Amino acid sequence: MARKAVILAGGQCKWGVREAHIVDLFQEAAKACLDDIPTLKPKDIDGLIVATSYAGRCSFQVNTAPVVAERCGLKPTSICTRCDTLCAGGSTGIILAKGLVEAGAADIVMVAGGEKLYTPQKWEVFYSELASVDHDWDGAQGMGLPPPFFALTAQEHMMHYGTKKEQLAAVSVANYNYAADNPVAQMQKKLTLEEAMSAPIVVPPLTLYDCCPITDGAAACIITTDEIAKKFTDRPLVYIRGTAQVCLNSVSANFPGAHLADWKHTRIAAQKAYERAKVTPNDVKVAQTHDCFSISEVIEVEELGFCKKGEGGEFCGSKQIEIGGKVPVNTDGGLLAVGHPFGATGIRQAIEIMKQLQGRARHQVKDADIGLTHNLSGANAEHTILIYGREPVK
Amino acid sequence: MAVVGIPILEDLYPVTMDMWPLESKEFNRIWPFYENLKQGRFTTTKCKDCGFVAYPPRVICPECYSENLEYIDLPTKGKIIVFSEEVKGVPLGFESPLIHAVIDLGVDPVRRVLSRIVNCPAGVLKQGDEVQLAVFPVPAFPIEKGKAGTIMAERVFFAFEPVKK
Repeated sequence: MARKAVILAGGQCKWGVREAHIVDLFQEAAKACLDDIPTLKPKDIDGLIVATSYAGRCSFQVNTAPVVAERCGLKPTSICTRCDTLCAGGSTGIILAKGLVEAGAADIVMVAGGEKLYTPQKWEVFYSELASVDHDWDGAQGMGLPPPFFALTAQEHMMHYGTKKEQLAAVSVANYNYAADNPVAQMQKKLTLEEAMSAPIVVPPLTLYDCCPITDGAAACIITTDEIAKKFTDRPLVYIRGTAQVCLNSVSANFPGAHLADWKHTRIAAQKAYERAKVTPNDVKVAQTHDCFSISEVIEVEELGFCKKGEGGEFCGSKQIEIGGKVPVNTDGGLLAVGHPFGATGIRQAIEIMKQLQGRARHQVKDADIGLTHNLSGANAEHTILIYGREPVK
Repeated sequence: MAVVGIPILEDLYPVTMDMWPLESKEFNRIWPFYENLKQGRFTTTKCKDCGFVAYPPRVICPECYSENLEYIDLPTKGKIIVFSEEVKGVPLGFESPLIHAVIDLGVDPVRRVLSRIVNCPAGVLKQGDEVQLAVFPVPAFPIEKGKAGTIMAERVFFAFEPVKK
């Protein structure tokens, strides 16, 4: 019997502006993860993959995996490593863990992601963002902080497809309202369309609620095989059916689409992931997409095939991303409202999809059997997609 | 001058905090790009074996992996495709207004270069406006040269600016 990877459990700590060290956040996340599966003990875990990008800059700590392993009481014997793909680090860790457990190189892997981004003086995290893009080319052009890049993206989407500001605001409203009752979200308040439309300008056309916050936080999940999982849980198994990670450029001048609102790399990643998962966009009942900005979600629902190219604004503006809509998206609040501690985000998404497919999500999508997570990272330089299902790929 | 909280860093240069590239030949094999910039030239590498033009410049051809490359000139004038203006909340190291534009320089592979627009107030730029290369000095950085002491490596960087009508 081929070994098939599942996500067994997961948890995240409280996200936001945290009075804590990065290793504190990882410990809180590891505890939240094992609280989700009381039958599993730290000694059962033989692998650890740590996803963090800013530990080196904001916590002066590289080689973070042994640090996290020790603080969390883990003694891995199969793998103990860090991965850094910025905003997609957590998803990358899950892809790697899937490969390891299916290959038999590991049995039970914790994938833990986290960042401590609020530094004693705020300038430093913003300044460090010069390292998040291609430093010598886009960083030196002042493209470190992402709002200008996504403002240009939004402008080109508006130019080519007639997308309206109200449709961007509808994404913020939906995601804030999903997070309003999420106790670990950074933003826990309802948002109205009027509030979103009258918010302060960041970079036109983006205003305050179009942009995700800076977030401290961590999350952890357990990846193992279906046969091992059955020893620990009676919950429905959630299989990782198919994955893809696509990188076609780094410097923005080599952006692969015809314009900034044409995400060719997302389409390729989606096609690969759907093929490997043996599903189509029509099969996806719930998705967690990378809403670092409202415009990102608008473009993602197009490129992931939930609607036609150019119709993302209409799709989001007509409540298709809400419960009862065609594909509810970011049902725990997404990056916009739960927050975005880069390496932790993909794990947060995976946990929400796991809960949806097990029927225990806070905003439950009825009969959810196929779920999808998506990350973009850097200056829209890489796309990472995972597709989960109640059944394995046959 | 001492760094607050870390007095040992007095007069020391932390490369991990440098927002500009390490352009000098001691640290960068594409140093000719920056030397050409100092002459007002915007250049990149072309493969002499397969003809592929890469941007930014490389030390190998990304198509055929040849190391047989030459620097060629790119256009220094282009047109604004789309732009953004950030007036408030401009990050450290940049002045308000921080203007970014996607610029068409008219030839591959620089038909959609994302650049800062300098020497331009907020609220005047329009799509289709003509812009030109603007080269400006950025701080020199120190390199330890053993017994010869420390030298200062002079640097420039580039953006684009509106063409005066």
